[in-house]
Amino acid sequence: MLITSTNITEIVSVISDHVNQNAALITVGEHTEIDIDNLIEELNTAGLRFMGGLFPKVIHGNSILDKGIVINTLNNLESMFLIKNISTKDYEIPEVHFKQNQDYSLFTYVDGLTSNISHYLSELYEHYGMQTNYFGGGAGSLSLEQQPCVFCNDGIFQDAAVFAVMSMSSRIGVRHGWSKVEGPFIVTKAEGNIIKEINWRNPFEVYKEVVEAHSGKTFTDDNFFDIAKGYPFGIVKDNAECIVRDPLMVNENNELVCVGELEDNTLVDILNGNEASLIAAAEEATKESVAQAIMPRKAIIIDCISRILFLEENFDKELTAITSTIQNHFPEVSIGGALTLGEISSYGEGFLEFYNKTVVVGLFE
Amino acid sequence: MKIENHILDILQLYEYAMAIGKSSDYKESCDLFLKLLLKRKNLNASWILEKNENHLQSSYSIPLGDEVKKEQNASIATLLEDVKVSKLLTADDVLASIATIEIESGVVAIFNLDAQGYLFLYTKKDNISLKDITQLQPVINKFSTSLKACKAFSAQEKLLKSLEIQNQELSDYAHMVSHDLKSPLRSIDTLTAWLKDDYSDKLDASGNKNLGLIRNSVEKMDTLINGILAYSTIGKNRFEVYDVDLNNLVKDVLSLIRIPDHIYIITQDLPVIKGDKYRLQQLFQNLITNAIAYNDKDKGLVEIDVKDQNEFWQFSVKDNGIGIEETYFEKIFKTFQKLENNKASTGIGLSIVKKIVDLYGGTIWLTSELGKGTTFYFTLKKQSNGTA
Repeated sequence: MLITSTNITEIVSVISDHVNQNAALITVGEHTEIDIDNLIEELNTAGLRFMGGLFPKVIHGNSILDKGIVINTLNNLESMFLIKNISTKDYEIPEVHFKQNQDYSLFTYVDGLTSNISHYLSELYEHYGMQTNYFGGGAGSLSLEQQPCVFCNDGIFQDAAVFAVMSMSSRIGVRHGWSKVEGPFIVTKAEGNIIKEINWRNPFEVYKEVVEAHSGKTFTDDNFFDIAKGYPFGIVKDNAECIVRDPLMVNENNELVCVGELEDNTLVDILNGNEASLIAAAEEATKESVAQAIMPRKAIIIDCISRILFLEENFDKELTAITSTIQNHFPEVSIGGALTLGEISSYGEGFLEFYNKTVVVGLFE
Repeated sequence: MKIENHILDILQLYEYAMAIGKSSDYKESCDLFLKLLLKRKNLNASWILEKNENHLQSSYSIPLGDEVKKEQNASIATLLEDVKVSKLLTADDVLASIATIEIESGVVAIFNLDAQGYLFLYTKKDNISLKDITQLQPVINKFSTSLKACKAFSAQEKLLKSLEIQNQELSDYAHMVSHDLKSPLRSIDTLTAWLKDDYSDKLDASGNKNLGLIRNSVEKMDTLINGILAYSTIGKNRFEVYDVDLNNLVKDVLSLIRIPDHIYIITQDLPVIKGDKYRLQQLFQNLITNAIAYNDKDKGLVEIDVKDQNEFWQFSVKDNGIGIEETYFEKIFKTFQKLENNKASTGIGLSIVKKIVDLYGGTIWLTSELGKGTTFYFTLKKQSNGTA
């Protein structure tokens, strides 16, 4: 459900009625004119269990909104946790008791602008493995300034993650629609989210050569992102769609700063896409989840904010492709979600990944 | 297109190979390589089982799952014996019984890591093929070697830690005992001094002699305790190194000790070396004092010399004293080992000397002839960094 009111009492009352004793997943557009601390206080006073995040934009049905609160019920909640200090890796993943022959889904929002998100995801998989499906996204502001952006009953935090484990089935589809222009290249030196060397050369020189030749455009002092948003990197996987890494800017050493981490010796391709390929991928991801679902109650869409920056006004077509595919099969399913700074899920049931420029569609039974 | 695929295969192997050997910690080493493999090949789990006689024990697992610790039965033994190098198998009950995670269906690739056990890679779907395991084999071999190195490193670390603790305990013990012994010793010394002052006229000659003997013994014990304290603190802390002029240092030593009139000291020109003045003084003082103390000649000679041996300075302290039997050549450097005929010695001086030489990365030895004299040789590294 979507709440557009800015009156905290009213918001709390609507959430309480909607989730009816269950826990709430609260997805807030970053420009929503509310005092989030006040909201948390009032939700606690009302005795509600909740977790959520602030995102550049939220999705409700076929609409994309800068302002507004999307509410999802977290049915059959088993546990909900707050993990702080993601960047310093100074945390423990709590123990969860998973019953045999029971499907579980883990939903997580993480500060999308913090470092070591991959380590957090790796820790989740190390502890919970194949006992649950994983789904989630990176919260934060489109200004790319790190600030408190994930919240739960304990307050609002930056450099943190919240996650809920529910005894419920979920069907997940993941696609991006970017395809190889040139590669593979070896990221011979990387540090966190900075590519310091490609093929033992300055990374921007290599990137520039490929992208300028393919796009016919020339990089100047102030147009890096305008061109780069159409030329992400793809981490090469064996017999599967690559994992996209989004180059954001060039730093003072002509190194490439990306959203999401890379490690030394990672193989990457330079990718490109177009309106048609991206929209087709979004539809494919939706079809993938729809094909596995039996009677989903809700759909949550985690779509990368950079796709809207690339597709601009055509992003409506991508969202329509997703929502119409869901509604064609399951007309009663409520659709909500967020435009995120990084997307989370596993490919199939394998190791957890942090994606950029990708669509993740989850149908929850 | 085909060539491109071959290049990709090779580069992927390069990526895997470069993830090996980045850490000397067993778990971290496994994490770096196996998590990468799981991610890139979309696998679900990986674990390592080690064989200890007839038992199988899991030493690593991602996800963590449950520990495997079980006796091998006939079917498990047959399965593993069949894995000479590597094998691709469909998940079944036998494999499930030695898995750290629940497996019902899917495929398991097993690699024989020899002494390091068996590596299992599990995929719920068919994400691994015979071609994959053949391609991975050289990388897995490298991984196995890296695990062996991690274990050796860990064993070495444990040993060093244990030695460090033992050394610390010994040093603390020596310190504590020395301090505890000094207190009653001071009381005995004071009381005997009072006895001598107040009652010497009331005691007969034998009583006064015994009082003197008590005080001599107290003095000897004090020297011994000081020696133990000095010995236990050498090498305890990293020491500062700076230029030390050994000519001045030896001159200072000679002014500190009592040199009888019949002893002649000859000192050659000595170098300026990098070191710590306090320890070098202890070193020369002990050797020179011994050379003087054990000289029975009417005209005693002590010669201090040095030779440049490239990376080392080789020093010698030679005397024409009583000499040392060859059976004592090694023993005398051990704590509390002294010559049988030598009642005055505490048996700790040469131990201190050896410890200081060791600290400087040098060696010490001697040549001697009974009745003719002894020469102690020792080397000191020219570039001592204070850690030896």
